[in-house]
Amino acid sequence: MKILVCVKQVPDMESRFKPDGSGTWFEEADLAFRMNEYDEYAVEQAVQLKEQLGNEPEVTVLSIGPDRVNEAIKKALAMGCDRGAHIQDPAPQGKDPWQIASIITQFAQGEGFDLIFTGMQSQDRGSAQVGVLVAELLGFACATTLVGFAYADGVITAKRELEGGIKGIAKLRLPAVVTCQLGLNIPRYPTLPNIMKAKKKEILAIPVADLLKEEAVASTARFYPPARKGGGIVLEGDVGNLVEQLYGILKEKTTVLR
Amino acid sequence: MLLELTEEQKLIQDTAKDFAKAELEPVAAQLDQGSDRGPLLANLKKLAELGFMGLNVREEYGGAEAGAISFSVAMTEIARACASTAVTVSVNNMAAEVIQAVGSEEQKRAYIPKICSGEFSAASFALTETCAGSDPAGMLTQAVDDGDSWVLNGSKIFITSASYAGVFVVWAVTDKAAPKGKGISCFLVEAGTPGLVIGKEEHKMGQHASATNEVIFADCRIPKSAMMGKLNDGFRIAVSELAGGRIGIGSLGLGVGLAAMDYATRYATERTQFGQKISSFQAIQWMVADAYTELEAARLLLMNAAFRKDQGKSFAKEASMAKLYATEAANRACYQAIQMLGGYGYTQDFPVERYARDARITSIYEGTSEIQRVVISREILKNFAQ
Repeated sequence: MKILVCVKQVPDMESRFKPDGSGTWFEEADLAFRMNEYDEYAVEQAVQLKEQLGNEPEVTVLSIGPDRVNEAIKKALAMGCDRGAHIQDPAPQGKDPWQIASIITQFAQGEGFDLIFTGMQSQDRGSAQVGVLVAELLGFACATTLVGFAYADGVITAKRELEGGIKGIAKLRLPAVVTCQLGLNIPRYPTLPNIMKAKKKEILAIPVADLLKEEAVASTARFYPPARKGGGIVLEGDVGNLVEQLYGILKEKTTVLR
Repeated sequence: MLLELTEEQKLIQDTAKDFAKAELEPVAAQLDQGSDRGPLLANLKKLAELGFMGLNVREEYGGAEAGAISFSVAMTEIARACASTAVTVSVNNMAAEVIQAVGSEEQKRAYIPKICSGEFSAASFALTETCAGSDPAGMLTQAVDDGDSWVLNGSKIFITSASYAGVFVVWAVTDKAAPKGKGISCFLVEAGTPGLVIGKEEHKMGQHASATNEVIFADCRIPKSAMMGKLNDGFRIAVSELAGGRIGIGSLGLGVGLAAMDYATRYATERTQFGQKISSFQAIQWMVADAYTELEAARLLLMNAAFRKDQGKSFAKEASMAKLYATEAANRACYQAIQMLGGYGYTQDFPVERYARDARITSIYEGTSEIQRVVISREILKNFAQ
């Protein structure tokens, strides 16, 4: 079995973001980057499946971006992936989900993957489109927002998280794409010896121009912080009066009491 | 010149940070208050499984071969969450490194993998005695040659991790007639050896979860093969092979100081007095500026010492400079953090009083600030000698 895991490197979400000169993205120079949280679930699930199948599957981890994304690739290699593919792109934020999906598809077509894991979305852009687009372009089965995963005899049993906390079970035959949600697993910490050994694993370096064949279908018009909201309302007076006021506000301005 | 961690070093730093936040920070206050060491020992085991007990140890002995810079950044991240866990990790790493540096092949294979894997919760150094602290050459513990064994008699104090250590690196006098420092040898003594007695535990100001005990040798008989390094070469091992531990403790101090200032600075941006956030007062701003400047300087000194060690260059002077500066800066930062919190900083409802208690020992153990100055000035002055 051949498995692909797609990971994105995103800024630490506790960072302070400010728009960059182009006005369509944020200033990256002083940010610390990490592997996208949902992609960590994808890596963990791929490695667990590899272990379940007696280490037979070969797991490739792919990331698109500038040189810094090698750190995310190396983390995945240290967690148990076998080889990396760095799609070299100094400015991936300028590409829309359609282009990103087409790049991954171009890479995957020559490789004969049976199963592709991705995060359900990225923590920065959050479009949640790349996984499903890759599945569509490759003609693979697809299940999104997985919170449970089992594999036996060529069939994936995927537990999906639906709106309102409802769960659904989907069964998929290979080849397939699955996108991973919080709750699927607890990603392992890479061990220090494995971090050091990851240096010796192969990382393919492929210029993005070799794989990009599609025009963008959507473009980012503007990146800006939300307008500051006005201050909250401070209620004053005795308790009985406060309750009256609060009740009135909740009734008139919200749907809580309807 | 590149002042940037490598990808591997960054990943190790991130792993330490993530682990510390998820596993160490939630139990640190409880470990400080309680007598149950269960959570400490459980976390030490997990840290060993991740490879944090042999950062600078070769792979063949179960180490990570990650180097001294990785060791420094990992210690800082662990200490930000729990100084007691951090000191145990630092001492374990140094025990493994010393055995690797001077032990026989048989000794290396016998003990280093057990330290690295967590089979031993800890390893201990037994050097200090009641009358031999900064002046270890004045020790009285003796090892007497008795045919096919050595017999140890004497007592040691302030032995970190003694009550859960699997092996002890022990220094004892093997030639009473020799000039001072020339008649001491080093031994490896396994826990449970008859005559090795773990004595009373100290009631300390801070770093409560880390045990600090008296260790007594009462006709403790160990095999001839338990000697580590050459006969009467023990004092040299003590003063020269342990310099790396100073990088560890300096990095630990840095972590505690950063934890204190991060907490206090966040507090200052939330706390209102006189109708404004206290961070808008220059008095607070200067505290923030001074403390972070000193901690940044400490970090650079530590990185320089660790870099030199990784490059195979001499680093004793640099390690002492870094340890001296980082631990004193950490103490100042912790006291300033208490000041920024005012009365709250003095209570146990906020973590900064624990940080201050934990930081206090860092300018004492692994060589006091005064001894670091002796080392530093000696290294400098010898280049000026006629």
